[in-house]
Order: sequence, then structure tokens, then C-alpha cells
Amino acid sequence: MSWSEILTTTSALMQGLGVVLVLFFVVLAASMPLGFLLTLCTRSRFKPLSWLVNAYIYVMRGTPLMLQLFFIYFGLPLLGEPFRTLFFDALTCALVGFTLNYAAYFAEIFRGGLLSIDVGQYEACKVLGLNRWQTTTRVILPQMVRVALPSITNESITLIKDTALVFSIAIPEILHYAKVAVSRTGSIVPYAIAFVIYLALNTVLQIFFNWLEKRLAY
Amino acid sequence: MKKTLSFLMALLMGAMLFSGCGGSTTASSEAAPEAASSEAAASEAAASEAASSETASESTDAALPETFILGLDASFPPMGFTDENNEIIGVDIDLAKAVCDKLGMTFEAKPIDWDAKDMELATGKITCIWNGLTITDERLENYEMSRPYMENDQVIVVMNDSDINAKADLAGRIVAAQKDSSGLEALMADEICASIQDGTPKEYADYVTALGDLELGRCDAIVMDSIVADYYITANQKDMRLLDETMAAEEYGIGFKKGDTALLEAVENALSELAAEGTVAEISQKWFGRDDAIITY
Repeated sequence: MSWSEILTTTSALMQGLGVVLVLFFVVLAASMPLGFLLTLCTRSRFKPLSWLVNAYIYVMRGTPLMLQLFFIYFGLPLLGEPFRTLFFDALTCALVGFTLNYAAYFAEIFRGGLLSIDVGQYEACKVLGLNRWQTTTRVILPQMVRVALPSITNESITLIKDTALVFSIAIPEILHYAKVAVSRTGSIVPYAIAFVIYLALNTVLQIFFNWLEKRLAY
Repeated sequence: MKKTLSFLMALLMGAMLFSGCGGSTTASSEAAPEAASSEAAASEAAASEAASSETASESTDAALPETFILGLDASFPPMGFTDENNEIIGVDIDLAKAVCDKLGMTFEAKPIDWDAKDMELATGKITCIWNGLTITDERLENYEMSRPYMENDQVIVVMNDSDINAKADLAGRIVAAQKDSSGLEALMADEICASIQDGTPKEYADYVTALGDLELGRCDAIVMDSIVADYYITANQKDMRLLDETMAAEEYGIGFKKGDTALLEAVENALSELAAEGTVAEISQKWFGRDDAIITY
């Protein structure tokens, strides 16, 4: 493959970058708060709620994300006309599916973070007269985030790579454009280009999280 | 619904911003089928009526969709594939565009995951599968198949320096085919299949991977569509050849959703008219260098 061909192929692959970035930012921004909410639910004293959320996490983590996407994209329309509001567009399906799935993982990551916090911290807050909200936001959360951060980094990197799954519901992304370029040219160079693009995205991500970890190293 | 749509639009615009307005046809067309307002629908219908009044034969317009969404693998040259600007081109695309012009439908090519094609069709996310689809008994049962529009052979591809010169030479060799393909079916149905290495074909996710492995020597021969093999070897100047002896003869057709007969008839009629006007011969000339590669009626 000549340099000019590599250049055109790269720009063709970059057309899939928009979808990857939209998925990454929207899913991360939506699934982290949702995940934390789920963690709080599992710790609820109202047992049915905690069981329900645990069952949700169990199902979401225990089945392939690709199947979940299939159910949302192909399955919901089979419910028929009364459920028309649930017939999402492909991209909305992907955003919903990824968010629901990643929230389950984040819930477990946050649970792990909370486990690391000594019971003495809660007792100290009680002694100091902090209410539940203050205890959670001022004392527990900051410590939890620090412990959970390496796992959050891990999950974010996985998210970038998982975006390649959305072609199963007909959304073209970087890997799809690489695949069609390979079938057109009969050369595997487009795969190498995709390799470099994914690695570059995750390099930026890792630099950001390293910086964040240093900043939070109090 | 409106909220979801506007949210979606915002996202799509975001996506376009990120991709530097790369003129990506797929991104903008995603929302189109559902987003079309009733006014647009009305004007489309009017347009299609106007178009058909010129062509005498169409009387089934009421049943035609406004948007004709052609589902394809997008990596199947020369029938339907993606060029270096991510535009979808090919024989089937040219034919379908001409048909849509005639019937007043908006054309849209939608690349899909080939494994999910049945679900795409069943849920109406695509109007048809038009992508060098071989007519088989199974497909005749599951789809509303059109009459054949092209002939194709299942051929045996080997490297130029291979000592395989006839079907019988495949004995004891690694023979490959694309999974779920009619090439695989033809190979399994052939008596030679019992004597190839391991007694069973090596299956690949797609034919490009198989051809790559043929070059690397991980398999000795591939059974695949002659039309695709010819194009691949010539266009990419590969050191490969086709054996004279073929595995099976077959035909390509268009697959519609079961029961979608009105649309099928309309498309077939349009193809007949296009053949009479010489458009089909032009498309054949453009892709195959001869004007009779596409069957006309």
C-alpha cells in the first residue's frame, strides 16, 4: 500500500471516530451516576430494592453486551405498535444498551471502593454530627473515588474498544470501515491503521487518568 | 418520540462535528426513515405517483415504501462494496438506484452485519437484501425472492504456483469456504468433500480472511463465488487463479420480506423497463466490461 492510499484509508476510518467519541462520552457520563445510584440501592435497608438491583447487575454482567444490543434494537420492535415509543434509532439503542450494561459494572466498582472504607470513618462522622448526605458526599465519596479510580480507568479503556460492537446493530464505526477497506484492497494495512487509532485514543485516555490519579492522591 | 428524536439529532450533529463533516451518508440517513414528517410522506407519495404516471406499467404504488433501504454486507465487490471515501458502490447499488428513480422511492444503502440480516429484514429496518444473494431452496422459503438477475459459479481458487489443477486434486488438502455461504454448501454437497483434509471444509468469517490465508499457505484452495473471485484477483493483482472445473452453478436474486409481493413485482417490472431502455446493459458494461452479464427479461 502506498502512502497516499494509507492516507485516504486513514481518513475513511476516521469517519467512524465520531460514533466512537459520542458513545464514549455519553455512556461514561450517564453510566457512572447510574452505577453509583445502583450501588446505593444495593446497600439500601429496603431489602426488595437491594435484591432487585442485585438481580439487575447479575443479568447485565452475566450476558454478552452484543446480545443486549440485539434485544434493544431488534427485540423491542417485536413488541408491536403499543410500544412504539420504545422503537429507538440505532444510535439511541447503542447508547441505552451500553449505558445499562456499563452502569452494572460501575456499580460493582463503586461497591468495591466503598468496601475499602473503614467502619471507623462512619463512626467518626456520626460523632462529628454529620448527617447522611454530608457523610456520603464529603467523607465517603472522595475516598471511594480514589480507590475506585484504577478500575474506572480500566473500564473506560474497555469502553473504547467495546464500541466496535455497535456494527452488530448496523452502526458503522472504525473497525467496520477498516473491514470494508480490507475487503476492497485485499491488504491488511487498514487493520493496522485501526490498531493505531484505537491505541492513540487509549493513550490520551491513560494520560488523562494518570493525571487525575496524581491529583487525587491526597 | 419528539424528544428522543431531537436528542438524537443533537447527537448526530455532534457526531458530524467530530468527524469533521466527513459527508458520511450513513450517519445522516440513520434517522431519516422515522424522522420523515407526514408532510414529507405526502409529497413523496405525490412524487412517486407523478413518476409512475410516466411509466405505464406501475399500478401498485400505494404499497411502495417512501424509502427503499437496501441492506448489504458492503464488503462484497463488485456487487456491493465501500470505496475509499466510504461511499457504497457496486452493481447492485447501480441497479437499485435506477429502480428507485423509476418508482419514485428514496434510495438508501445500509451496511449491516451479515449475521443479523434476517432480523434486520424481519423488523423492517431494511426493505430488502440486494447483495449478490444466491437463490437457495431455504431462501425461497424464508424470503420473497426475485427472479434471478445474474449467473454465478462456485469456483475453486488456488495460488498460481499450486499443483492443484482439477477438483480431484483437492483430496487430502485444506479446502476453505465462507461460513453460511452457498460455496460452503456446494463443497459439502460434493463427493470430494469426504476426501479433503479432516473430511470437512475450513470455515472463515468472510472470504477476504480466507483469501489472506490462502496467500499465507494456511489453506490450499477456496470455494467461492466466481464473480467476487474474478473481481478480487484482477482488481488487487493477486497471484491466484480459478480452476476450469467448477463446483456448482447458481443464480443471484433479491430477497424481500415474506409477503412483500407488491414491492417485489414493482421492482421486477422496473428492472424489465430498465432492460428495455438499455440501462441494465450500461451497468453491466461498466462493471464487467460486457453488456450481457446481467440477465434481462
